[in-house]
Amino acid sequence: MADKKKKLLFNRQMRRIDELDQHIQEGLALEQADKELPMYDAADYTAEQIAAIDPKWFEPHGFNEQDAERTAYSNYSYWASTFKNFWRNRAARILIVALIAIIAFAFIQPLLPNQHDPVTINNDPETGMHLRNLAPCSEYWFGTNAIGQDLWARVWAGTRTSIIIGLVVALSDLIFGVIIGMAWGYVRSLDKALTEIYNVISNIPQTLILILVSYILRPSMTTIIISMCMVGWMAMARFIRNQVVIFRDRDYNLASRCLGSSTLRIVVKNLLPQMVSVIMLQTSLAIPGAIGDEVFLTYIGLGIPTSQASLGNLVEAGRVLMMDSTLRYQLVFPAAVVAFITIAFYIIGNAFSDAADPKNHV
Amino acid sequence: MLEYILKRTAGAIISLFVVITLIFVLLRLMPMEGYFGAEYDKLSEEVRASMLAEKGLDQPIYVQLFNFYKSLFQGDLGKSWIYRPNYPIVKILEKKIPYSLKIGVISMIFSLIVGIPLGAVMARFKGKFADKLGTAFIAIVEALPTAVLMLFLQLFFSSWFNLSLLFDKNNYATWVLPIFSISLLSICSYAMWMRRYMIDNINMDYVKLARAKGVSGSRIMFRHVFKNAFVPMAQFLPGSVLSTIIGSIYIEHLYSIPGTGSLLIDVIQLQDNTMVQALVLIYAAIGIAGMFLGDVLMALIDPRISFVKKGDDR
Amino acid sequence: MENYLQNKEVILSVKDLSVRFSLRGKSLHAIRGVSLDVYKGESLAIVGESGSGKSVLTKNFIGLLDKNGTIDKGEILFEGMDLAKFKTEREWAKIRGKKIAMVMQDPMTSLNPLKTIGWQISEALILNRGMNHAQAKAETLNILKDVGISEPERRYKQYPHEFSGGMRQRVVIAIAVACSPEILICDEPTTALDVTIQAQILSLIKDLCRKYGMTTIYITHDLGVVANVADRIAVMYAGDIVEVGTSEEVFFDPKHPYTWALMSSLPQLGEKGHELYSIKGTPPKLFGVIRGDAFAPRNPQALKIDYMVRPPYFEISPTHKARTWLLDPRAPKIDPPECLKRLKELENIESGDMDE
Repeated sequence: MADKKKKLLFNRQMRRIDELDQHIQEGLALEQADKELPMYDAADYTAEQIAAIDPKWFEPHGFNEQDAERTAYSNYSYWASTFKNFWRNRAARILIVALIAIIAFAFIQPLLPNQHDPVTINNDPETGMHLRNLAPCSEYWFGTNAIGQDLWARVWAGTRTSIIIGLVVALSDLIFGVIIGMAWGYVRSLDKALTEIYNVISNIPQTLILILVSYILRPSMTTIIISMCMVGWMAMARFIRNQVVIFRDRDYNLASRCLGSSTLRIVVKNLLPQMVSVIMLQTSLAIPGAIGDEVFLTYIGLGIPTSQASLGNLVEAGRVLMMDSTLRYQLVFPAAVVAFITIAFYIIGNAFSDAADPKNHV
Repeated sequence: MLEYILKRTAGAIISLFVVITLIFVLLRLMPMEGYFGAEYDKLSEEVRASMLAEKGLDQPIYVQLFNFYKSLFQGDLGKSWIYRPNYPIVKILEKKIPYSLKIGVISMIFSLIVGIPLGAVMARFKGKFADKLGTAFIAIVEALPTAVLMLFLQLFFSSWFNLSLLFDKNNYATWVLPIFSISLLSICSYAMWMRRYMIDNINMDYVKLARAKGVSGSRIMFRHVFKNAFVPMAQFLPGSVLSTIIGSIYIEHLYSIPGTGSLLIDVIQLQDNTMVQALVLIYAAIGIAGMFLGDVLMALIDPRISFVKKGDDR
Repeated sequence: MENYLQNKEVILSVKDLSVRFSLRGKSLHAIRGVSLDVYKGESLAIVGESGSGKSVLTKNFIGLLDKNGTIDKGEILFEGMDLAKFKTEREWAKIRGKKIAMVMQDPMTSLNPLKTIGWQISEALILNRGMNHAQAKAETLNILKDVGISEPERRYKQYPHEFSGGMRQRVVIAIAVACSPEILICDEPTTALDVTIQAQILSLIKDLCRKYGMTTIYITHDLGVVANVADRIAVMYAGDIVEVGTSEEVFFDPKHPYTWALMSSLPQLGEKGHELYSIKGTPPKLFGVIRGDAFAPRNPQALKIDYMVRPPYFEISPTHKARTWLLDPRAPKIDPPECLKRLKELENIESGDMDE
């Protein structure tokens, strides 16, 4: 047994030595060749030099099928290429790091020491009065709001709320949009009915639906999420449907079908990857969209109750006070966070969608 | 062509019908405290019944719907409950609509005049400085939440240019900021799409052929590409009429313009259900009309559309 | 054959042209030092597989190179001008349409969908021949008749979507002819068309060229097209012309191994029951430097020097030259494949795509 193993090992080592030897031989031959024929193009040689070329070079080289293929060999991988392209975009690279840091911090912040609670109304320990509209200081980094709550804690709590809203809505758009869009585009019998329904719904401004649904239900985070989810999937589904209709009857899908692929396989393996770029863009834009919509809904009085901080009600609270320049910080801090998050998602989404588009891969 | 327009008209009317019904039914599904305040549950049975009867809510929903349609065809949108109790909504709207209409139309025209040429210019100088600057600007406007962006526009522009924060119908200087704010979003989206469609078209074969037959660069842009790029824009325009409308809801309230937009927010905050119903209905109707006009406009520009529809039996 | 060059004058001359594309930071050497003379009144076919650079080469003649492509060496001489030096649209305006026109590959997309075909033909007449609208309309109707479109009066007012593919290609040809150019470049003029219509379109182009005295350059990968129309053939591989000669020379006495391989893969030369010949391997990537003969790795008869030094042109006759070391006196004598002999027996080569 042990002998056999030793023999195997020995054989393998011998093989490797042979390979190395061959590489060295080839390298030496090439070096020699470079000395004799230094230039690549006959046009660079004089007639005498050509006449002086050693006849040994005119022997047949022999044919190697691997060599013939190797010229065009490419280790292309879609996802590797996508991430490489994405990472090459400096702005997107910086923003994604910053964005992840901010989101992570929003969730870590309550666990840190010496943090105030976002809903507790702080009193001055000496006078016992509410600490109203306190400008930013060492104790309250972003100051306090009109009823004495710590704005620093509220901004991070609001960021958490808004990010959760954004993520849930984006996820729902992704799931419902893709599934409905695929069915809509692929199943011919559904196409007509769904298109008619879409035509009716799309005629109504989406924001109106948003307003109406939020108006009918009691104001809460769940209401806001439900109303946004009800509206959001449509754009995605429509997009997917159009793409599916374009690619559905392409020959490669026909071929795939002839080879016995199931519908599910064609949809998942042939059609979905084609749309990664579009889907990613729509999803990543849904997050800032949801955050923006929350701000809007809060403004018109359909937002989350102030007991739960959100970027929307923080901006709204700041807006009420914005004409007093000493209190403007209450608008600036939450608005700056909203602005950063939405712009970051927008740019990252676009950069990723560009990177994911196979047309941009070399 | 006529067939196509008729078909489209029928579609728009059906849409309108479905939407009105939907709005009406949805609002009736609202919990009763949405109608009568948080105290509703504590009231006695008789009081509740009399309150329902007073508003006509005691009848089955299809009867309510039928009555609603009946009065709608007579041009009656019902009476306000809370905003101005028992005052006909139509009378309230009469005073509000002219402001919204004026501001909306001016902003529409302004954004068309600025946005479309801006997009065309950006496409013409694709990759140059002007294009990059425009693209960055558009990205910022598109990315920022409208609510936040408009707030800062109001805050800074009013102090920089010393303009009034609030709207005054007699002082035209106060019209500038709201109209500019409403237009800004449309300008950016027109410019962005126009640029995109122009660039898509520039890469098409017919442009190559036009170049090969000796047509100059600017002639290609204006005589060939522009119209082709405008076809999808034509369909897109009414969609942005919608965004103008929605933008106006927010902007009107922000600047206290006495139009329908700020009225909608007021009545939402007052929970005046009939008023909300009437206003949502009007906005939905405008939306449907806008989409319809867009399709007709596109059919007028593009000879292929009515042609394809005729023989479209896929 | 020897007297092919008699009374022939060079109308367009390409000298050592080199074109590079920059693609995402990488440089692609699409045309690697091509020299080619085009004679007045002849019809020249440039053949090669997809990506061999045949389209790129001719796009240089009309200034339609894609934006990321640049000519980094060489000249294109035409009527005493060097087209390779042209930079501005204004310079090209004198050439495009007026002197050199082009028929594109896909008639379905090469017409403006929103303009009537009459408008599109007239535009060329108004811009290039300085006609007014009435003259242009009259002339357009004539040309429509010339390209075989019946009822020109009615067709004049129609839009491209009301035409079939073959009809649209006739319109595209009409536009090219309307300019009455010296040189007509036909970029795969029949590839997108039904087989039944291909022959009609080819003979239409042929007739029109005779009638208007145009020089034609066909770009094609279809040897059937070449056999039908070409006086002379240039074979391209990996951005280089590897063999050029009159049609008889290239068809019946090819010298370059790539040309051999190309001809051997003609379906008409296949024997029943035997597998059809196909060229092994894939064309090289044009990023970076190619050492030696680009075809060497796929060439079973390659010599050692083919891998080291790019061969020069060897002249076989005044009209026929090939870029292969096999023609060097020191090289072993290698005969072309047997099956090529049968080519002579085939009186008429019908359409056969090399790409498929």
